[in-house]
Amino acid sequence: MKGLKYQMKSVLRDKFCLMTFLLPVLVAVALHFMGSIDMSSLGELHFGVLENDLPLQAVTWLERYGPVTAYATLDDLTAAVNEPSTNVIGVRMDGESLKTAIAGDELDIFQQAAATLPTLYEQRNAAEQVEVLTLERPDILESLQGIFIPAVLIVAMFMGCTFNAMNIISEKEDGVAFVNEILPMTPSQYILQKVVVGFLFGSLSSIITAAICFHLSWKNFGIMLALIALSSFVAAMIGLFTGKLSDGLMTGVVYIKIVMLLFLAVPLVCALVGVSGPIAVVCNIVPSQPAFEGIMALSAGNAGAAVKDVGILAVHCITWFALYVLISARRKVQVA
Amino acid sequence: MMGKGFCALFKKDCRMLASGKFFLMAIGFLVLYTAYVNLGYIRFMQMEPYHVYLYDPEGTQTAKSTLVRNVSSMEEMNTALLSDANGVGLDASGRDVQVVLYAGAKHIDRHRADYALSLLCAADDYSPKILGINSPEQKARKEITCELLFFELAAVGFLGIAAVLFKEKGMGVIRVHAILPLRKSEFLLSKLAVFLLSDVVFAVLLTLLNVGLADGAAVLPTVLLQTMILSLIMALVGLLCALLLKDFRQFTLAYLVIAIFAATPVFLSANTSVKFDWIDWHPFYHVYMGLKNAYFGAAISPVYYIGSIGVIMVLFLAVQLAFHREIGKEG
Repeated sequence: MKGLKYQMKSVLRDKFCLMTFLLPVLVAVALHFMGSIDMSSLGELHFGVLENDLPLQAVTWLERYGPVTAYATLDDLTAAVNEPSTNVIGVRMDGESLKTAIAGDELDIFQQAAATLPTLYEQRNAAEQVEVLTLERPDILESLQGIFIPAVLIVAMFMGCTFNAMNIISEKEDGVAFVNEILPMTPSQYILQKVVVGFLFGSLSSIITAAICFHLSWKNFGIMLALIALSSFVAAMIGLFTGKLSDGLMTGVVYIKIVMLLFLAVPLVCALVGVSGPIAVVCNIVPSQPAFEGIMALSAGNAGAAVKDVGILAVHCITWFALYVLISARRKVQVA
Repeated sequence: MMGKGFCALFKKDCRMLASGKFFLMAIGFLVLYTAYVNLGYIRFMQMEPYHVYLYDPEGTQTAKSTLVRNVSSMEEMNTALLSDANGVGLDASGRDVQVVLYAGAKHIDRHRADYALSLLCAADDYSPKILGINSPEQKARKEITCELLFFELAAVGFLGIAAVLFKEKGMGVIRVHAILPLRKSEFLLSKLAVFLLSDVVFAVLLTLLNVGLADGAAVLPTVLLQTMILSLIMALVGLLCALLLKDFRQFTLAYLVIAIFAATPVFLSANTSVKFDWIDWHPFYHVYMGLKNAYFGAAISPVYYIGSIGVIMVLFLAVQLAFHREIGKEG
């Protein structure tokens, strides 16, 4: 207990270290308010026209489908169509009908829209009389934010890993690690002290992040708490491994970067591509995958799936802890 | 004399990077990025036109396009729409055709409905005029390569630079230079040269492997120029951080701020139609757009070149000042 007090003391003195833990919280607040940024414009159609080319009623008709920008010259219009970050469709009048121009590098969906636009214009009067039945979308997590928030949570949990790894590396560089070897302390005592600091701060910043971003019922909040606690623990353990394995600051940074990349890439790619079958099971080896899936399941209201992920994380915790104790005990024997 | 000293410093820096597994990491990331682009990204970046499902028990729609898929019952249509929420259903069982779709953005919903209806009438094949030179795959390859290169130089490379410098600072190498008979600027120049060289090699390999040999070679000269600008700026900022901040842990915070707050809006503004009004004030936006314009063969304004040379010079002077201060601490 006394050792833990010293660990906390050294952390609290390091203001910058405390601020790293606050960072995910800041991002969460930013994301929370950024909800007002309209991401839905991403898939929208954008049209570019020449000034005084289209009659007003044609422009009004185009505006039903998406924003219309007027350009002064043909060169400006061509440049806007070719601009790689947007999918502007150039529209010009051709007698009574429209003709369109695209850059040719757009996704199929935009190419098809440009190809059918003249036909839509011809049939505009008939189309207005047709009855449209609009249904509510079943999925809640359709926006990009749905993936952003769990990703920030994963980063928050990961902070414990970075912190522990850095802590151990600096202990190694300062020679404290050698002092630790001869202290009257069992390996598990040492692990606990080290893990607890990264774990506490990692889960604290994750809990605050989760509280800002999610509005959960009490039961789901319990599951979320379990997810956060378990994955922060695993992250802190992995931080210990990273610190143990790296023999200097630079190699430490390399390892941390690789771990961070794996932590973020595996769940994001799985979520975006929609991996299933045996690959999805293999992906669970990376502890952030069950954590991410659990959070996604919770925000979709599927508590059953989240409990399964809690189970997987618990297995992770036990495995990593046992592995570490085993390795440390063996080394201690070698030293003795 | 100067050349010899510089060579010795250059060799020492290279050895240090090699022993810190810096080059190994760069190769590792190159392999990872290449695998991601060629195996994942290109396949993932595809968006088919909306699927249109038609329920037409009487067979009244005779002029329909081949893109329309027939379903045999309303239940089948509902399941199809449920699994393909961007699809559009057309119910032609009544007197008039009814459109069924799941709500999305308002503008897009209108377009989806009208598009689906237009497929029921025969239309002559119209293809829009093509103004650009890239195919969708070429565009996707150029875009992702540009993003990865920027990310690698601005975020990953930056961290490596700082790690090296903090190590030297910790070992007291910087202070040793105060008494070495070498020009002070040589220390900085050799560092910049090492990182510049490794970044250039990285950029060449990444571009050729991911954009393709022919396309990549065509844009390579301008891309390399932009890479040099970015690499110099990042190396100088890294040097400045290493000289001003106390230890590496403080640096990781500065790094996180750059990685999250500086890069995210730039990526959003440069790659999507989400445009922020204030983005012109964001320095990284201009650097990123310079790199992107180089990949897409667009013109880059001379003001940008003058500005970036100015920034590099100011940064270099600042680094020199900080370096002299660090050396001076000893005396």
